[in-house]
Amino acid sequence: MTPVLERILILDGSVTHESDVVGGKGASVARMRALGLPVPPAFVLPVDECRRYHAAGRRLDEGLWPCVLEGIAALERETGRSIGDRSAPLLVSVRSGAPVSMPGMMDTILNLGINDEVEEGLGRLCRDPGFARNTHVRFVREFGHMVLGADVDGLPDDSIPAELRAAIVEDTGKAFPADPYEQLEAAIRAVFDSWVSRRAIAYRRHWGIPEDGGTAVVVQAMVFGNLGPGSGTGVLFTRDPVTGAREMYGEWLPRGQGDDVVGGAVDPLPLAAMAEQLPEAHARLLEAGRLLEHENRDVQDIEFTVEAGRLYLLQARTAKRSAQASVRTAVDLASEGAIDRLTALNRVTPEQLAFVLAPRLSEEVRAIAAVLARGTPACPGVASGRVVLEPDAADAAQSDVILARPTTSPDDVSGMIAARGVVTERGGSTSHAAVVTRALGRPSVVGVGEGVTAAWEGAEVTVDGNEGVVYAHRLQTAEVRYDDVPGLNTLLAWAREVSRVEVADETPEVLDLDESGVQLDPAGGLDIDALADYMRGAKAVTGSMITTADGARAVVLSGVPTVVPAAGQQHALLLLRLAQAEGHNDKEKR
Amino acid sequence: MSDPAAVEFLVLHGLAVKKAGTAEAVADILGEDPGCVGPALEASVESGRAVEARGMFMATPAGRGWLIEGYGAVFGPFRAAPEATEAYERFERINRDLLRLFTEWQMMPAGNETVPNDHSDAEYDNRIVDRLGALHERAERPLEQFAALEPRLGQYRRRLENAHDRVLAGEHEFVSGAKVDSYHTVWFELHEDLLRMLGREREEQA
Repeated sequence: MTPVLERILILDGSVTHESDVVGGKGASVARMRALGLPVPPAFVLPVDECRRYHAAGRRLDEGLWPCVLEGIAALERETGRSIGDRSAPLLVSVRSGAPVSMPGMMDTILNLGINDEVEEGLGRLCRDPGFARNTHVRFVREFGHMVLGADVDGLPDDSIPAELRAAIVEDTGKAFPADPYEQLEAAIRAVFDSWVSRRAIAYRRHWGIPEDGGTAVVVQAMVFGNLGPGSGTGVLFTRDPVTGAREMYGEWLPRGQGDDVVGGAVDPLPLAAMAEQLPEAHARLLEAGRLLEHENRDVQDIEFTVEAGRLYLLQARTAKRSAQASVRTAVDLASEGAIDRLTALNRVTPEQLAFVLAPRLSEEVRAIAAVLARGTPACPGVASGRVVLEPDAADAAQSDVILARPTTSPDDVSGMIAARGVVTERGGSTSHAAVVTRALGRPSVVGVGEGVTAAWEGAEVTVDGNEGVVYAHRLQTAEVRYDDVPGLNTLLAWAREVSRVEVADETPEVLDLDESGVQLDPAGGLDIDALADYMRGAKAVTGSMITTADGARAVVLSGVPTVVPAAGQQHALLLLRLAQAEGHNDKEKR
Repeated sequence: MSDPAAVEFLVLHGLAVKKAGTAEAVADILGEDPGCVGPALEASVESGRAVEARGMFMATPAGRGWLIEGYGAVFGPFRAAPEATEAYERFERINRDLLRLFTEWQMMPAGNETVPNDHSDAEYDNRIVDRLGALHERAERPLEQFAALEPRLGQYRRRLENAHDRVLAGEHEFVSGAKVDSYHTVWFELHEDLLRMLGREREEQA
């Protein structure tokens, strides 16, 4: 039985908890522990405590604190470490956990409990004073920023903690607590206070979420991936996130800690290296991955740490994957019986399918094409045209142009809209130019080098935003064949099965929505039902709006049996949309 | 704004930041009455510093040159103010974080490559919206400092506030959309405005 103290819940997995009581993160920790998975020990202050805090005029009442100390004692028992203990210090993370995630809630504070003495002890414990220092600095920054509200981001990363603290005190006029328990109390208050942050209130107002809710606070023991040789950190994907292939894929960083892998600061090793070094932890990790994928019925992305030979899962969530992998994993999971076919069809978004099918330069073409310049790929896609150097020239152009600029200012935006593709001489993948071209969907290559583009004026070039290369001449792109995308033919066969609407290339008596000027826009044009009424009785329809979710739903509602692809519309995309619309309308009827 | 030449200078500056716009759009940037901006734009057309087509104005090369020549004198006090330099340094730091954020909004990691964000993962998007809000709050301080020195710049605060509010309301186009007054659109214009006022070059991140 869970030792439910009066006011806190220890997440030991003996029972699971609902997220409206313990928040999303708390529920997830409880669930993972209930599955027998190794998760660092944690306890939670439930949502009710936040309500109580605000009802009392932002005061933590006296009855709560002894319960928090009980919670800490439970973490100490399980880890064998203690808060403030220089020989074996326990550090914790503190995070908010509202039942519905919303902006404005306090971000996670890591490594709480560290101070000058603990830093020294931690440095000895892991025989790495540099790591202990980084951990300390990071905590001072996060605590200063999130709890005390300081803006001290100008200070360098190699600042010493005392200097950082002094800067924070000067910036905020507030004291920086050295005592771990004072740190903990301030962090808990900061989480509760964030429930009424301006942003959280604005968000709830927009979305009609009641004000009388609250957020839970999750306090969890930190584990260290750099405690000696049997330690490390990494990520595991239960399937290959790039290809979607049914094989575990992961990265392993021996003696690494937390963000080292995710942040990409150090080059990690493949997972096979972990299997060699720590076979037991590795086997346990794969087993955990299989279990979580089975439970959640989707590919999982798991962050883990091994502390002195012992595996801990820090976070498990649905894995992000390439568009190609989305198609393949959806089909595979349905074939394995984990999900049904309609779910599989809904797991692939039309945007992903369009990306998979976007025309590319074939390797044969690239191998013989003349390279004008290489830079950083900023917006994917391939575009060809005549180079212009001035935005006004792009505005005025009657044919396809590529806009080349040293760098971009707001001046250039209209030229970028008019151009097919964009090249800049300066700047990287996070420059304004990169942001604007991605927003516009204009293939772009940035940072090709100072003075490189001037000589191209008037020449025909091809911009390859996938690879970051500018080629001479207009190059032919190749259509992607359905056979080359693993799983696609199966997915489309299922779409045909689900959908009562047929997609046919040619048929007499087609109602052309674009020609009739019909607009789907409840503000001025038609809503879905009105559009369905308009189409009803037609033998076939065509129109650019059918690749939108609402357009496809209107077709399904109207009972029109056939859709004909409009110019530039992909067969596969229409099929997917119509199948998804069928599922959507079914759900509404039920 | 009383001196007609000073009015014309500011109006043309507002136009140059935006590249092209109606009198109303320029008035919105400057926080001025369109009734006062309109005649100043007409005067610029008369003097060859701007052109007009169907209600849209655009600065001519001559107009741009006139601005570049005049900036030092007109914004001299702004350039000399230590608060302006300090606020600009803060602005630059936030700018780096913001551009990284816009990039993550548009492209997301999938294993060891990045793919366009199709916005099907609400959790991923929410985290970014949350970070945008945090940066929006961090930007208040430099924006206040700028507005104290040059009240006109307070307009950016209002426009950023509006963009952020629409993002919170779920209008995702207002994060980095290029055809609306998105957070990036307004920030990009503010950046350009500040670079012109301070007489600096754009430093792009490598």
